[in-house]
This record gives sequence, C-alpha cells and structure tokens, in this order.
Amino acid sequence: MRPLDWIVLVSTLLSIVAYGLYRSRGSNTVDRYLLAGKTMPWYAMALSIMATQASAITFISTTGQAYADGMRFVQFYFGLPLAMVVICSTVVPVFHRTKVYTAYEYLEQRFDSKTRALASLIFLCQRGLSAGMTIYAPAIVLSAILGWPERLTTSMMGAIVITYTVLGGIKAVTWSDVQQMCVIFLGLVIALVTVFVLLPSTVSFGDAVYLAGVAGRLNAVTTTFNWTDRFNIWSGLFGGTFLFLSYFGCDQSQVQRYLTGRSIAQSRLSLLFNAVAKIPMQFFILFIGAMVFVFYLFVQPPVLFQDSEVSRIQGRAEFPAIQQRYNQAFSRRREAALALVQSRRSGDGQAETASRESYRAAEAEIAATRERAARLVESAGGEKGYTDTNYIFLSFVTRYLPVGIVGLVIAVIFAATMSASSGEINSLATVTVVDLYRRFMKRGASDHHYLLASRWSTLFWGVYAVGFAGFAGRLGSLIVAVNKVGSLFYGTLLGCFVVAFVFRRVGGTAAFIGMIAGEAAILATARFMDISWLWYSPIGCAVVVLTALAVTSLTPAAPGSTPARRSEV
Amino acid sequence: MPELREVPDEAPPFLGTWRRVYIGVLIYLVLIITVFYLFTRAYR
Repeated sequence: MRPLDWIVLVSTLLSIVAYGLYRSRGSNTVDRYLLAGKTMPWYAMALSIMATQASAITFISTTGQAYADGMRFVQFYFGLPLAMVVICSTVVPVFHRTKVYTAYEYLEQRFDSKTRALASLIFLCQRGLSAGMTIYAPAIVLSAILGWPERLTTSMMGAIVITYTVLGGIKAVTWSDVQQMCVIFLGLVIALVTVFVLLPSTVSFGDAVYLAGVAGRLNAVTTTFNWTDRFNIWSGLFGGTFLFLSYFGCDQSQVQRYLTGRSIAQSRLSLLFNAVAKIPMQFFILFIGAMVFVFYLFVQPPVLFQDSEVSRIQGRAEFPAIQQRYNQAFSRRREAALALVQSRRSGDGQAETASRESYRAAEAEIAATRERAARLVESAGGEKGYTDTNYIFLSFVTRYLPVGIVGLVIAVIFAATMSASSGEINSLATVTVVDLYRRFMKRGASDHHYLLASRWSTLFWGVYAVGFAGFAGRLGSLIVAVNKVGSLFYGTLLGCFVVAFVFRRVGGTAAFIGMIAGEAAILATARFMDISWLWYSPIGCAVVVLTALAVTSLTPAAPGSTPARRSEV
Repeated sequence: MPELREVPDEAPPFLGTWRRVYIGVLIYLVLIITVFYLFTRAYR
C-alpha cells in the first residue's frame, strides 16, 4: 500500500460514511430508525439487499474458487430467481399488510408468542455467530497479505460500521449500502480490465477465454448429480431455492431491507432486481478469477499464495523437491499455452490437439504439486484441510495491480464487509428490541424509550461482533463455517413460515414442536451424514412441516377454538 | 388468522401484471442457464 492507495482507501470510506449519515437525517422515531418510515425507493432497497448478501469473503473467496476450481459456483445462485418469485407473490404482501417490524412479529400474529420467541432466538443465534465472522474473515486475509494486525483491521471496520449504524439506523445502512455497491462494481470492473492489460501482448481476449476453457475454468454448468458435490445444477436449483427462500423470507437481515419500501410494488421490484442481476454479477466475479488464472499462465505464481504458510514449510526436507517440480511444471505449462494459442490461430488441428494435451498435463502436474504443498502445511502444524484459495485474488491485487487501484480494491473489501456487517447488526438490534425487549420485558413505554433502546442494542451488537471477531480466530476454518452457519438454522425458520402461510389449521404448539424437531434433524444431519450443507435447509424445512402436521392431526381441536390469534404488540 | 390491513397493491411499471413479470423472470432463468450451458460446452 503506497500513499495514493491510502488516500483512495480513506477517502472512499469517509465518503461512504458521510453520505450514509447525511441521508439518514430525521431518524428520530422507532419507525424511521428501524424501517426508514417506509419511504425507501426500490433501487436503494435492491442495492442494499445485494450489498448485505455480498460480504468481503464473497469477493475474496469466489475469485479464488474460480482460479482453483472453475466457475461452477455460479450454479449456487440458480435457485435465487425461483425463490424471489415465490417470496414476491406470497411473503411480501402479507408482511406489508400486517405492518410488522420483523418477520417473527408475524409469527405471533399467526401462531403465538412462544413460536415468535423461539424464531427470534434462532435468528439471534445464527446471525450473532455470522456477525463476528463477517468482520473477522476478511481481516485474516488482509492480515496475511498486507501484514496488518487482525485486531486493528477488525476494530477499524467495526468502529466505522458501529458509528453510522448507531447514529443513522436503517436509512444510513441502506444509503451506505448503495454507495458501497457502486464502489464494489467500479472496483471489479477496473480489476478485470487491469487483468487483460497485464496479459502478454500476444494473447488476445479470445485466446485468454480459450485457455481458461481448456483448463476447465469456464465450467459454469455441471449436470452430473452428486449428493456430496456442493455446486451442480441440481443442488443449485433445489437446495439453492430452499436456502434463498429461507434467507429472503425468514432472515430479518434481508426482510428488514424490503420492509422499508414505500409500497408492495417497490419491495417486489427490489427483490426481482436481485433475481435478475445476481447471477450475472456472480458470473462476472468468477470470470475475474478465471482471468487471473490465465494471467498466471505467463507469470509464475508462488507455489502457495499465503506467504506465512510458505515460510512454514520452506525448512522442511520435502520442500525443495516440491518447488523444483512446480517450477518445471510451470515452464511446461507456459510453453504449452503459447503453443496452443499459435496452433489455434494457424488452424493446425493436429498441433492444437497435441498442445492441448501437453497443456492439460502440465496443469494437472501443477495442481498436484500445489496439493502436495498444502498437505505439507498440514503436516507442519498448519490448519487441517488447508487451502490457499482465499489468498489468491488479494495476493494478485497487491503484487500486480497499479498504485491507486490497490487502494480501491482494498476499499471494495472494506465496503463489502461494512455493508454485510451493518445489515446484520441493524437486524439483530431490531429483533432484540421489537421481538424480545418490547414484547417480553418492557411493554407500553414511549417511542423515545424504544428509540434509545434500539440505539443501545445496535451499539451492543456492534461491540459484540467486533469482540467475537477477536475470538473467532480460535474456531478453526472460518470460511467453511461462514457458509455452513446459515444452513444450520434456515431450514427450521423456513419450515415455520411454510406452515404459517400454507397450512392454516396448524396452531402455535404444533409449529413450536415442529421447529424443535426440525432443528434437531438439521443438527443430526450435519453431525452424522456426509452430504453437502446445501441440503440442510430442505431437510429441516420438511421435518418442521411434517412434525407440525402430525402434531396437529393427533391433537383434538377444542370446540370453537381457532389456531391463530392476534398479536398484542 | 392475522388481521390484514388495506395496503394498495400497485401494478408493475412494465408487462401490466405481476403474474407476467414473474413468468418473465422464470423465462430469464431458463435462458441464462441455457446460455451458461452453451458457454460451458463451447469452451470445454
């Protein structure tokens, strides 16, 4: 990081905070603080939803994943449009018409207070765990690449987020998200253009795409079904749909974004914008990773992208042989890539086939050598199942991108972290105050009292997130954990909402028992079965629905009783 | 059941009804998967 990078980074972050606070003027009632007085336009909500969903790890990890494994991660998002259509046609009108602050408030209107409390607690557990990881995950990468102390990075990001979230409420969060998404888009476009500029002059755009494809990095769709494979078209369409239904229908961090809309139509448009824009956006991010792979066909990358782990294994007896084998494989792959480009241009089919085989063989050799180095890290006391995927993109950025652009890309990482984190903190505070404090602890107080409680709650969750981020380093593989945590809880919440919307004869007690059974089923599946976490949500949802129906059918209805009751809040 | 209050449900700014918009989104999904599939095949 040079002075110009620092200027770009600091000025970008300051302008985001200042703009968010400026737009949040007048957030002096609970309704305005938590729901922006239901005045937000669809485009602001749309970008806020996108920003909240996209944490820094999305950009760091996704690009690295394309480098190492290709673009098949994009299939994870195929379920998103299906989920959005279902949510827009069912959930959005009901939430607007019942005038709720939170998704769980609706559950009391539909069932009873214990179901609302249980759903709120499940949300607080799940989001509370994620909140620390959202801040910590990019901090470990920035620490490894730039040498910044993890504590300093998490505290810096946490302080900025807490400031504008506590002071400005959801309006500040939403308008900051809008600006953060603009910075993210700009940073990504510039990163891709720069990758192309850095390619050898003899390699055209078409050549680069061709080389990535031959190496298997453009595998956007895989149709082979496998229970343990996280990313194929079937797990994306089926498991992805359930996960996004849960995320956008039952997770307050998302529901609160579209509840700020001034009408049902505005909320629907914000969700449908995401349904349409998210897949191309993820494709674009993955494509950057594939092009970084092509760049490294001509510039030798380190055997592992995390310097500290390379230092760990450099003294081991096996390392010189690994490094030598890696150097030789790289030279063979570079020559084969250049020969492949030449033969393709000359139209010599035989030469092209021979070069392609040689290129693929060298690529397989490099992958095998990198794998050996990763296992050496493991045996030298490193993390179990170690992979350097999350370090690839930032390593490339800091080594090869020009001055100024590095600052912008680091600003993208900060912006993504802040947008995801502010949404989480804001929603955690809302559920704490509306669903627990106002409902069960202090009823009938003044609006000013609840506004203050909301601000204090926001501050609490912000400090908690930063504090938990400091502890999160002891929890092992965070990147995997970030992906799994949501899946461990979403199925239960989704099942409860499915019961609420679809099965009108089911009452509160049956739904409550169903939720407990669903959560137990998910935890048992995660503990004892070897299947992708994308399947946890469908399993949990199914168990909740079936248990609630079974309990309902076994429980005789009292004469004249109705299963649902009105909320007292 | 929860008491539903009257909130106006405006028509979408394009395609006339929400039903048509939803069908449009689903057609878009089929198209984008097809394009990605062809993209994968073309560069495999």
